[in-house]
Amino acid sequence: MPAAAAQAPAAPRLLDNLGDWLFRNIVAVAGWFVLITLVLAAFSMYWGGREAFSEFGFGFLVSTQWDPVREQYGALVAIYGTLVTTAIAMIIAVPVSFGIALFLTEVAPSWIRQPLGSAIELLAGIPSIIYGMWGLFVLAPLLGNHVYPWVDEHLGPWPVLGALFRGPPLGIGMLTAGIVLAIMVIPFISSVMREVFLTVPTRLKESAYALGSTTTEVVWDIVLPYTRSAVIGGVFLGMGRALGETMAVTFVLGNAHRISASLLEPGNSIAASVANEFAEATTPMYQSALLALGFLLFVVTFVVLSIAKLMLMQLKKREGK
Amino acid sequence: MATVADRLFLRRRIVNGVSLVLSGLATLFGMFWLVWILWTTFTKGVDAMSLQLFTEMTPPPGQDTGGLLNAIAGSLLISGLAVLMGAPIGVAAGTYLAEYVNHRKLGEVIRFVNDILLSAPSIVLGLFVYTVVVRTTGGFSGFAGAVALAFIVLPVVVRTTDEMLQLVPTQMREAALSLGIPQWKVTTQILYRAAAPGVLTGILLALARISGETAPLLFTAFNNQYWSTDMTGAVANLPVTIFQFALSPFEYWNKLAWAGAFLITVFVLLVSITARFFLLRKKMSHD
Amino acid sequence: MTDLSIAINTSVPAAAELAPRAAKLSARSLAFHYGDFKAIKDINLDVPEKRVTALIGPSGCGKSTLLRIFNRIYSIYPGQRASGEVILDGENILDPKYPLNKLRSKVGMVFQKPVPFPMSIHDNIAYGIGHYEKLSKADMAVRVEEALRQAALWDEVKDKLKQNALGLSGGQQQRLCIARAVALKPEVILFDEPTSALDPIATGKIEQLIAELKQQFTILIVTHNMQQAARCSDYTAFMYLGELVEHGVTSTLFTKPTKQQTEDYITGRFG
Repeated sequence: MPAAAAQAPAAPRLLDNLGDWLFRNIVAVAGWFVLITLVLAAFSMYWGGREAFSEFGFGFLVSTQWDPVREQYGALVAIYGTLVTTAIAMIIAVPVSFGIALFLTEVAPSWIRQPLGSAIELLAGIPSIIYGMWGLFVLAPLLGNHVYPWVDEHLGPWPVLGALFRGPPLGIGMLTAGIVLAIMVIPFISSVMREVFLTVPTRLKESAYALGSTTTEVVWDIVLPYTRSAVIGGVFLGMGRALGETMAVTFVLGNAHRISASLLEPGNSIAASVANEFAEATTPMYQSALLALGFLLFVVTFVVLSIAKLMLMQLKKREGK
Repeated sequence: MATVADRLFLRRRIVNGVSLVLSGLATLFGMFWLVWILWTTFTKGVDAMSLQLFTEMTPPPGQDTGGLLNAIAGSLLISGLAVLMGAPIGVAAGTYLAEYVNHRKLGEVIRFVNDILLSAPSIVLGLFVYTVVVRTTGGFSGFAGAVALAFIVLPVVVRTTDEMLQLVPTQMREAALSLGIPQWKVTTQILYRAAAPGVLTGILLALARISGETAPLLFTAFNNQYWSTDMTGAVANLPVTIFQFALSPFEYWNKLAWAGAFLITVFVLLVSITARFFLLRKKMSHD
Repeated sequence: MTDLSIAINTSVPAAAELAPRAAKLSARSLAFHYGDFKAIKDINLDVPEKRVTALIGPSGCGKSTLLRIFNRIYSIYPGQRASGEVILDGENILDPKYPLNKLRSKVGMVFQKPVPFPMSIHDNIAYGIGHYEKLSKADMAVRVEEALRQAALWDEVKDKLKQNALGLSGGQQQRLCIARAVALKPEVILFDEPTSALDPIATGKIEQLIAELKQQFTILIVTHNMQQAARCSDYTAFMYLGELVEHGVTSTLFTKPTKQQTEDYITGRFG
């Protein structure tokens, strides 16, 4: 009865084993390729920046000089700008994203939750160049003509903090860049936070509600403690995004190679410098300086993203994955 | 006793009400900006729309006619090539993760690295491809641009494939193996079929993601004023064109930049919506 | 006890009526490890040809583990290993030299949860056959029909062979999986709790099917439902904590068990 099946296996067996061996190795190569990519990326930028690093040494990190004519480069202006714009963006975006995530998971009527959540996810996919253009053509003139003069006049004179707000009402500058960056990062962070909040088991929340807790109390006492590390992870993810963002800030940062105390003044960020000047970097040292900046950015984002991943993994462990 | 509890309860309700209102305000605040940005893009984009966009090349500075044809064509070419290069490697790597090293240390390490690549700044990937491809081949090329974008496609597809394959029930694997089918056929003929809708969605989302990417192209494909489909040289593309035109003082160039921004936004939204609905429909037909 | 007696009296032939049969599968000194944990402890078991043998026992006793040794499905999981011998038609199937696909063409398996492949009904059956034989479309259609008839599914699906298998009901999907297994013309079919995910009507149909299938195939079925074992099987093996406690003709095991543990399990004192 099973005669046909009993005879056939002899031939396919060789092909089966060969197929298994071939397939296994092909996918393994692809898997290792991912690993190698990261290592290669880090190494290639370090290698490209080595001239700048060896020429300027540690001074590269702390010098504010950026003079292509005399071939003197220092990263401090760019680092400062990157950190400040990211900080402004985080200060604005984190509370707002948190509020949105909260609204979407606990407050909004159920019919609106899914559509609004999907809408925000779609918005997170809008390319950053759009934000940059809007910032340059719409926001900057608005701020420069109507808001910043007021800020300069009323907040400028304050004793210590005032230094942050004094300056010519150009419209473009660090504060504007920070605001545009914040708007760009909000859909992203709120999506992550919303997903994190949704992992809290319903019965945990229900038992709190059954005891008479208000919505805020459920969030404060149940949801947040349960998701704490993941929320922090989400914030770090957003920060990683903001640190490396190019197009959203290049349009409105001003490409000025000096550090000013005032947020109203133009500045520079690592990504913006590289984007703006790479085309003009004709000498090897100039290119090397820009690649060195790229390497610094890579290291910083790597650290931030690793922290984010570790925090998010803690939540996954909780879920039993 | 009752009044103390009542007062406490009132306070709790006020606190609750205030927080809820604040969260609603935060949502309105966030949505307000985003809607404004979309509105600006649409109005300025529609204002700049004309048939010219699709029939004429990018004009030199100062001229007040011209279109975006070479940039659109170039972008399609570069993105298409990027997906062709990045997606297969991504599917293979995702398969390795889900089927061969799933609960092992190597799998955890690759997933970690992949997630870093996923969130890495695209400008960093552009610089990487610059040093590895552009410098070695001697100049900008559409091919280098496609490679840079392929590195953005790769981690997205790896992750989607990995997750979708893990969703396929173990018993399906075992059922196929019980028939005597070899592992590689089980994976390619059964598991891929089961995971296909999800994997395709991932590829579409990757396509949406690279459509607006400017920074990596700045150092690889750069840009081209003229019509060029020669991928070994600089190729015109939409994002870099928009970048150059928007930052320039020429009014017509600014107008074209908005048209381009509008086109990209519409494309990204269409692809994303298609991807999500496609996955949703396929999921529903199975349950 | 009353339910069981009714079950025994109405379905399975008494011991005297059962013609003695040669053992199709023989396990000798069989042991199984999950890593360091010894889940199966030195079992000797003969599975008679063209009869239904049931494996029963409380959760964790190792019955599914034992079943899964017979088609070496555990081999894809690192850290799981079997030792000892299992003789099928004179050959030890645990020998690494015994080809896996030959084993699996002789020993088929049906799982707890119906898992149709994401293809049409026709293709689900044809897929397995196609791996072993090159058939013309007409010949394949004949084989597919034959398999579906054997699984008592043909009449319900003959008009919709091209439709996706996922559109079938749970009971139909499980019969499709049975058809898929019999399509390869195996000699032994292993059933791992095949009806635990199905409603009572579907369960009844499958049990009826098993009674018909035993005319052609040797059947080994794991079940946590004692009534099902009493209804469907000719022989029953009771396992506890990885050991084979008792094995014999079903009606005898349920009415006159020789070991205290068996009697305790059957009367519901544990498990």
